[in-house]
Amino acid sequence: MKKIFAIANKELSGYFRSPIAYVVLIVAVTVFNVFFFMIIDENQEATLRDVFKVMEFLFVFIVPILTMKVFAEEKQLGTMEFLMTTPTTHMQIVLGKYLGTLVFFTLIMCWTLPYYGIIKFFSHPDTMTMMTGYIGIWLEGAFFIAVGLMVSSWTRSQIVSAILSYVLLFFLYFASALVKYTGGFFQSIIKYLDVMGHTQNFIVGLLSSSDAIYFISGIVFCLVMTRISIDTRIWDNI
Amino acid sequence: MIVSKNLSKQFGEFEALKNVSFEIEQGEIVGFLGQNGAGKTTLMRILTAYLPSSSGQAFVGGEDVSLNPLAVHKKIGYLPETPPLYPNMTVKAYLRFAAQLKDVGVKFQKAQVEHVLEECRLEDVQNQVIGTLSRGYKQRVGIAQAIVHEPEVIILDEPTNGLDPIQILHVRELIRKLEHKRTVIVSTHILSEIEQLAKRVLIIKKGEIVVDSNLEKFLIPDDRKQIFVKVKGEEFHIEQAVKDTNSVKQINIEFLGEDIYELHLENTNNVAHYGELVQNFIKYGIKVIEIKEKKGTLEEAFLKINK
Repeated sequence: MKKIFAIANKELSGYFRSPIAYVVLIVAVTVFNVFFFMIIDENQEATLRDVFKVMEFLFVFIVPILTMKVFAEEKQLGTMEFLMTTPTTHMQIVLGKYLGTLVFFTLIMCWTLPYYGIIKFFSHPDTMTMMTGYIGIWLEGAFFIAVGLMVSSWTRSQIVSAILSYVLLFFLYFASALVKYTGGFFQSIIKYLDVMGHTQNFIVGLLSSSDAIYFISGIVFCLVMTRISIDTRIWDNI
Repeated sequence: MIVSKNLSKQFGEFEALKNVSFEIEQGEIVGFLGQNGAGKTTLMRILTAYLPSSSGQAFVGGEDVSLNPLAVHKKIGYLPETPPLYPNMTVKAYLRFAAQLKDVGVKFQKAQVEHVLEECRLEDVQNQVIGTLSRGYKQRVGIAQAIVHEPEVIILDEPTNGLDPIQILHVRELIRKLEHKRTVIVSTHILSEIEQLAKRVLIIKKGEIVVDSNLEKFLIPDDRKQIFVKVKGEEFHIEQAVKDTNSVKQINIEFLGEDIYELHLENTNNVAHYGELVQNFIKYGIKVIEIKEKKGTLEEAFLKINK
């Protein structure tokens, strides 16, 4: 556990030592703020429903930037060899890196908490719905990060890692659009994979175990795949 | 301490290592020598349990590298060819991170980091960001990282590669300091480095070990010793004295001026002393100024092997 925290801490402080993280933080929060103002002004509703939708769409762009370097940079610098020759298990490395990125992502999310305060000040929002909405998009972000981490473990190149993550996240995000072009068993798989459908339930205040299982199993699957790609040093072989 | 039994490694069609076997005792300093691409790095990566071997076994401190990699990692300090450094971290933060990952107890981390900072002479730059350091300093940070958990075995892959002469001296001095307590493996393609650092040499050629020998023995082939003798006297007497000595044969004589000659002799009887020769010189009233043995250089041996 101590080593997981040590790696997470290194990862997190790494974000604050690089300019990209600040750019992501400022851009994300600014865009969230603008949309928050526009949506509230337009809808005149005491809800963050549409703001959440904008946020989850932006995650598709933000997460690859956060995760592209996680493993790709270690391989580029040669520090992967260092990590892998310390008495640390590969799972500890994966979990440490995941935790570090997740904490940074959570910090970005925390910047949106004042929205609740603002709405609460002027109106009477449904606190429970807002809370489940936050849980939903946080889980979605956590899932996206796991996907990004997995992709980053496949390659040495940060650019390749970012582009592949975009492709995968776009697919997960827009899977519902593909449903009508497919049929049978394949259609039901794509329907299940569609991330928006699952988050939507959280946003409207529906907590269901199947949605939670979708995200958690997705995260576990990606982390296990990441570990396997480190075990097999897949980046040396493709 | 380190045992390798018939290690082989294939990368697709390419055989990087072929049936490599050797044993290294505790406290030995061994140099792996070979041209670039000979398989040194692959061998080191297998010994550090970073790469799996295709066949064969390797043990470090009694632990099988493929079955128990974590136990091996605790015993080993490894410096890969490019020092594995995070350019954004400070030297101290990096060493602290390395200590955390390498199971140094929480209470000892601070002391241990300070100890290696001192041992590797890094105190002046401890709060500097690694990316701003010179290559020599970076290499020393790499070595500091390798020894921060007091490993029994240290494996250094081309530790002086790309350094300037003064940096090379510093790094060599540092490696020599390590040897007192630990087993050290150093790989290099620089021949003189092995002569200065190691006591035993393993020469690797195209994935095979072609020489495994004590360095002294390797450099002086036992059956032929070349001797150079500087003497003062008359040429006729000098040649007579050499003729009277059974254990040497004259190859050449060169006049250096003022009755001083340099003789090039060959030791034919394989004796380790030159008592008989000196006695004969004295008998003829010849003054002996200098006797020196010409040792083979590693360069000559290396070129011969790599022909």
